Amino acid sequence: MKESFSKAFQNLFKKPQTIDYPVTEIKKDKDYRGLIEYCEEECIYCLKCEKACPPGAILFVGVENPPKNEKNKKGLKYHYNPYLCIYCQECVRACPKPNEALWQSNKKPTIGVASDRVNDEWFELEAIKK
Amino acid sequence: MKKVESTLENIRDDIKKFYDYKVWHFITMNGVALDGERFEVQWIFSRYEAMDESVIYYTVTEYDKIIPSIEDIIPSSIISQREVVDMFGVKIDGSEAGLYLDADSLQMPLRGCGL
Amino acid sequence: MKKTIHIPLGSQHISLLEPVKFKFECENEKIIGVDSDVGFVHRGVERACTTKFKFDGVGYVVARVCGLCAITHSMTYTASIEKMLQTQIPLKAKYLRMLLLELDRIHSHMLCLSHVSENAGFEAIFMRIMGDRELIMEIQELITGNRVQFDFISIGGVNRDISSEHIKKVKEALKVVRSKVDGYIDEFTNNWSLSLKYKNIGVLSLDDAYRFNAIGPLARASGLKIDVRNEIDYLPYSEIGFEMQTSTGGDIHARNVVRLNEIVNSIQMCENILDALPEGEIQTKVKGKPDGEVLVRYEAPRGELAYYVKGGGKPMLDRVRIKTPTFASIPSFSHIFMGSQYADAPAILASFDPCLSCTAK
Repeated sequence: MKESFSKAFQNLFKKPQTIDYPVTEIKKDKDYRGLIEYCEEECIYCLKCEKACPPGAILFVGVENPPKNEKNKKGLKYHYNPYLCIYCQECVRACPKPNEALWQSNKKPTIGVASDRVNDEWFELEAIKK
Repeated sequence: MKKVESTLENIRDDIKKFYDYKVWHFITMNGVALDGERFEVQWIFSRYEAMDESVIYYTVTEYDKIIPSIEDIIPSSIISQREVVDMFGVKIDGSEAGLYLDADSLQMPLRGCGL
Repeated sequence: MKKTIHIPLGSQHISLLEPVKFKFECENEKIIGVDSDVGFVHRGVERACTTKFKFDGVGYVVARVCGLCAITHSMTYTASIEKMLQTQIPLKAKYLRMLLLELDRIHSHMLCLSHVSENAGFEAIFMRIMGDRELIMEIQELITGNRVQFDFISIGGVNRDISSEHIKKVKEALKVVRSKVDGYIDEFTNNWSLSLKYKNIGVLSLDDAYRFNAIGPLARASGLKIDVRNEIDYLPYSEIGFEMQTSTGGDIHARNVVRLNEIVNSIQMCENILDALPEGEIQTKVKGKPDGEVLVRYEAPRGELAYYVKGGGKPMLDRVRIKTPTFASIPSFSHIFMGSQYADAPAILASFDPCLSCTAK
């Protein structure tokens, strides 16, 4: 009882536990999960990442001017939606060339605001895919 | 996992004979859609302090039959009965609909689902 | 003629973070009737699991059922798929799974304890426990990379290995938490004002615990020996020093003590895991499509979690039934409220540690 009183009293003079964000930056470990990054030249277009992704945040869609890559026989282009991604790394594990063609960074996505209509373009891609 | 088949008429008597409340732990009631008209109703139990010993009482029935309630034998079954009523759009004695779904929700979401 | 009044608690209430509604029928201050409504956040996860996602993605879907015990959901689901496909996962993966599951239990119990003390009017302890809980959250984020949705367990093993540097940090944090928890045990048992709010309030007798099929800390506080970690063989809990914690009072105080003792036991288990972490792979390749039906149970922080999964040899599953702990405890909750004072209701409710996003899945 006495102890809890003294602890409560001591707490008055302690520094706050919270961080003064955004003035102070949040500590970020190199292993934290963030955006998936992709290298067009290294990709072999096996589409394993597209199949593995649980929410379907990676799409390969045929375009008119496909990236120049001899493995890209069907003229596909990689699309990634950071707002659908759940950062589970399932795509990187499925990739035959992890860390070269596809890897996970610890970067945050930009904040998606409703007025920016961030998913409109994505819905068009999904419609083409179907 | 042991499965025991029963019928809609006998299920209450079977569970009453089987269920000793200090030996068996009632886990939940469950429904599994079989085809457009029939589904399997399950009552799942496990034994206290035993290594993975569970028993499932089940019966296959049509959606329009009234399923007897076991609320008087196992008082805690009321909540899972209400869930089955909502999810499959069936009737169970004394269990009212509307635990999860409202009038404007998708009705009987699990009927014929996963086939 | 006696007159009764109806007082609602929820669905939005100052002392509740969760959308649950209890309608109390009160005779002066005494509760004589309870009616509950839990379906405010129903999202149709069970339907989504069988219509929208293939079986290898469902583990990530069911993790979204709950924020606090996400990892127990993905654990129980993956265990049921592994049981169906008869896969043996590497021992190291099992140990890493248990490490994260126990860390999850520690932070979940700490959250519950802080809310119980807040609802009993002791905000200083609430702040302190929440501050210490952050240590556990940080090491979880360090190991898995995510703070809430770990996505750590996948079919066949775990997604990440733990480095020796991380092991050191985890051990340091656990040591700090251990010393803090010892302080809480003292305060929760000896503090006079807390015991006024906790002792002999919201009592569930052993016989009622049996009759209403109570689970988790709620049942163990009444002396009912039910802990699913004791009843499973897919995780080697006996190797790492698991001990079932029970109490006899059945009141709020007994529930707090059970939770505190479980935190101590979990910290011990985590330390044992880190000391005896086996070498080897963390993933095995899993082949085949799930066929047949299984029932797998696991002890989530709030009690028994059960998955009934039925597959037909196709990528899509036939049925995924999720029985969450809070859902199954609603009848015992209602029973405990009967006869209590209305003023105690928020503290009693917080001592159940209800998780409504689990319940309404």
